[in-house]
Amino acid sequence: MAHQADARRHLDERGYTGPLIHNDNPLKLFEKAVRDRVVDSYYWKEQCFGLNAATLLDRAVELTCIGGTFGVGQRPTPFLCLAFKLLQITPEREIIEFYLGKAGEEFKYLRLLAAFYVRLTYEKGEDVYTTLEPLLADFRKIRRRTREGWSLTHVDEFVDDLLQKSRLNPRTFLEDEGIIEPRESALGEELEELDGEGSEGGGNAESDKTSGDGDGSMDGDVDPRNGDRASSREATPEAAARSDESMAGD
Amino acid sequence: MSNRAGAYGASSGNDTSFRKTWDRDEYAAKAASRDKKLQEEGKARHEAKLAGKKYIRRASTPPDARETEARKARLNVADQVGKTQLVPAGATQGKRGKGAGFYCDACDLTYKDNLQFVEHLNSKQHLVNTGETGEVRRSTLEEVEERFEWLKRKRQDEKAREVVDLGSRIEVAREVEEREREEKRRKRNEKRRKTKDGVGVQEVQVENDGVIC
Repeated sequence: MAHQADARRHLDERGYTGPLIHNDNPLKLFEKAVRDRVVDSYYWKEQCFGLNAATLLDRAVELTCIGGTFGVGQRPTPFLCLAFKLLQITPEREIIEFYLGKAGEEFKYLRLLAAFYVRLTYEKGEDVYTTLEPLLADFRKIRRRTREGWSLTHVDEFVDDLLQKSRLNPRTFLEDEGIIEPRESALGEELEELDGEGSEGGGNAESDKTSGDGDGSMDGDVDPRNGDRASSREATPEAAARSDESMAGD
Repeated sequence: MSNRAGAYGASSGNDTSFRKTWDRDEYAAKAASRDKKLQEEGKARHEAKLAGKKYIRRASTPPDARETEARKARLNVADQVGKTQLVPAGATQGKRGKGAGFYCDACDLTYKDNLQFVEHLNSKQHLVNTGETGEVRRSTLEEVEERFEWLKRKRQDEKAREVVDLGSRIEVAREVEEREREEKRRKRNEKRRKTKDGVGVQEVQVENDGVIC
């Protein structure tokens, strides 16, 4: 078993005979314009030539940011080039899970790369949800290269963007169909307590103020929204609205 | 009669032992394999014709061709900076032969910029000349795990070497410098040994070092 060192044959329109994803050439998951920019970039030619799933780790551990294209020339970031390489290699599912799990614990950009790949290539919506949701408990900071400049995000924010802002089947729909189980929150029972307090505080806010433990319940309501980001993930509409402007498509 | 030796020790006139002897079995096997190959090719040609395609015979990969691997390090495009070299007079035209720029030993070509050079290094022509197939082996999960462990260890080592104390940093820097100097000395000695009588390379001193007065 072998694959080509570069993507020339992969990108040839005449008679593609490689693995298929969504019934098409996996490299076509990138738009033509982006594809051409990646293939033209020096990083692609120098660093991505002849990589396989093992040597790709060497490059992925050296990543310092995520992002799409940058600058006036819209040069692709190394992150994008490596994602393109992953599409060309199409590693086995175990390898991707290793990138996400054990290797991702150590190298955060590798985890993001694999998460991005999973979102692009996994064909079933439930697979995407079940694979990526454990990563919502990862709060490490990451750098994001935008068109002009840099911004700061977090691993869970990025993963949440992957799940929320895309044409993926909504999780609630899949749950209604009985395809996946409702998500178990990392907070566990604590979440229900918070929810109970929250609805209490929201509904009878005025009457609570007068009662003895009203202050306590208000504190409990405010704290998780601002401080603990894990709980704000549970309030999905809020999270989606808040992070709308932070992520722009690649 | 034919076995009689000559008067001066030469073998007899009609001795045919100088002729090449043929291993009949070997050649019979060769012929059989050739027949088989032809037959297979004819079959493939026929099938291609039935399918409405043109049969194109693929050149065979040399048996000693090795698989392409990823570059071990970044391409060093700055290693010629600050060096002087003699360039043949006709070197400015075309990329054939050695000239000023990035030179590829295997293909005897010179490129003027690193983008063209790296494109050449990835090209089929270069891969064939260096005996590579242009195909990369798929790695297994075990290999990926092994690579990960190695990278993790490497990073831990680097972190352990990283110190904030000024005294030890100076110490480390001195050690590194000493090592580099030792390496330079070794290279110089090697070069000296290569020259005639071990006199070393004579430095040519040019007056007014390129400065126009």
